Amino acid sequence: MSEVETSPVARSHGVRDVEVRVWADAEQVPLLRSFAADIAMRMDFDLDAIEDLRMAVDEACSLLVRGAAEDSSLYCWFEPEVHGVRVRVQVDSEHSRPPSADPMGWQILTALAASVTERVTAVDGGYRVQVELLAVPGPAETEPR
Amino acid sequence: MSTAADPHDEGQPTRDEIQAARFRELAALAPDDQRRSALRGDLVADHMDLARNLARKFDRRGDQLEDLVQVATIGLIKAVDRFEADRGNFYAFAIPTIMGELRRHFRDTGWAVRVPRQLKELHVTVAAGRNELSQKLGRAPKPSELADHLGLTKEQVYEALVASAAKQGTSLDARLAEPAGDRFGYEDDRLAEVDNRRALGPLLAELPEREQKIIVLRFFRGMSQADIARRVGVSQMQVSRLLAKTLERLRAALGEDTLAG
Repeated sequence: MSEVETSPVARSHGVRDVEVRVWADAEQVPLLRSFAADIAMRMDFDLDAIEDLRMAVDEACSLLVRGAAEDSSLYCWFEPEVHGVRVRVQVDSEHSRPPSADPMGWQILTALAASVTERVTAVDGGYRVQVELLAVPGPAETEPR
Repeated sequence: MSTAADPHDEGQPTRDEIQAARFRELAALAPDDQRRSALRGDLVADHMDLARNLARKFDRRGDQLEDLVQVATIGLIKAVDRFEADRGNFYAFAIPTIMGELRRHFRDTGWAVRVPRQLKELHVTVAAGRNELSQKLGRAPKPSELADHLGLTKEQVYEALVASAAKQGTSLDARLAEPAGDRFGYEDDRLAEVDNRRALGPLLAELPEREQKIIVLRFFRGMSQADIARRVGVSQMQVSRLLAKTLERLRAALGEDTLAG
């Protein structure tokens, strides 16, 4: 199962909103990682920032997939903004353990992204766990030389 | 290289001449001559610095220097085998041979996934551009900057970047095999003390009775030197001297110098 939808509205850099849904399975994570890197590349992030986003998405997805309910989906939204790209990843889980409960993974994630937030909400028969991160194109934007 | 500036006397052979003579000797020896393989080995060993030096120039991200040195060594061996002493300086021949071997290594191998040759060359170009621009900008370049710098289209740069991501494969099982949970670990910094304490016991037992008593009173009862002096019936100066001497002895026996006085 892999579905990709793009929004009809063109955004900056010609990159549109993208929604990807895969099985919530560790084997699918590299797919999303490559997706993230490709988007960052097309948004003209610098090469280090591209790698940072690739690793951040990998980490965020890995944190979520570990606690995901069986046979569920991992959703990933990429939303290009003027100053970067917002990435939301989401799974359904049977328990409410937040991603930050893994100190190592969470530390990596917060080090790689400009900002990271997590949200756990109760839904029918379980919990919806979401990580949202913002990645920026690199130091060229913030400190012009 | 010219021999005009050579400081040696007329009769003395120069380094280059000795070198050339060794290569001529190598060429003259029969392929199955034992002396041949020994001389060949010597010539290769004598020029390993050159191979190592050139390998270092190719030591880009993700490539193990040791692997590159191996590749460079193969180039060096080829150079030793093919060099004709009458055709000039060995270095002039060996350097391009070794560089060629290293370039071929980057073009043909080191790719976990089969990638068209044209793309591999594009990758090398982009990697070089990345290094140049990183130096110039003081940060990693953007794909658009790379395209401008190298005179490529952005799509070409994208292709090369995506291809480089495929250079090294990762096992699908790698992530699954990763242990979950807290992975911060460190070595207990007082671990060495366990050994020292165990070793100290027998050493203390070997001390003369008076010294033993002073150590016990000082470190296990925490008494002052003046109090110990009264207890043992010697002067404080003597206690101080005996302590210093005993500690020195214990330190030497333990083979370290971290016992606090």
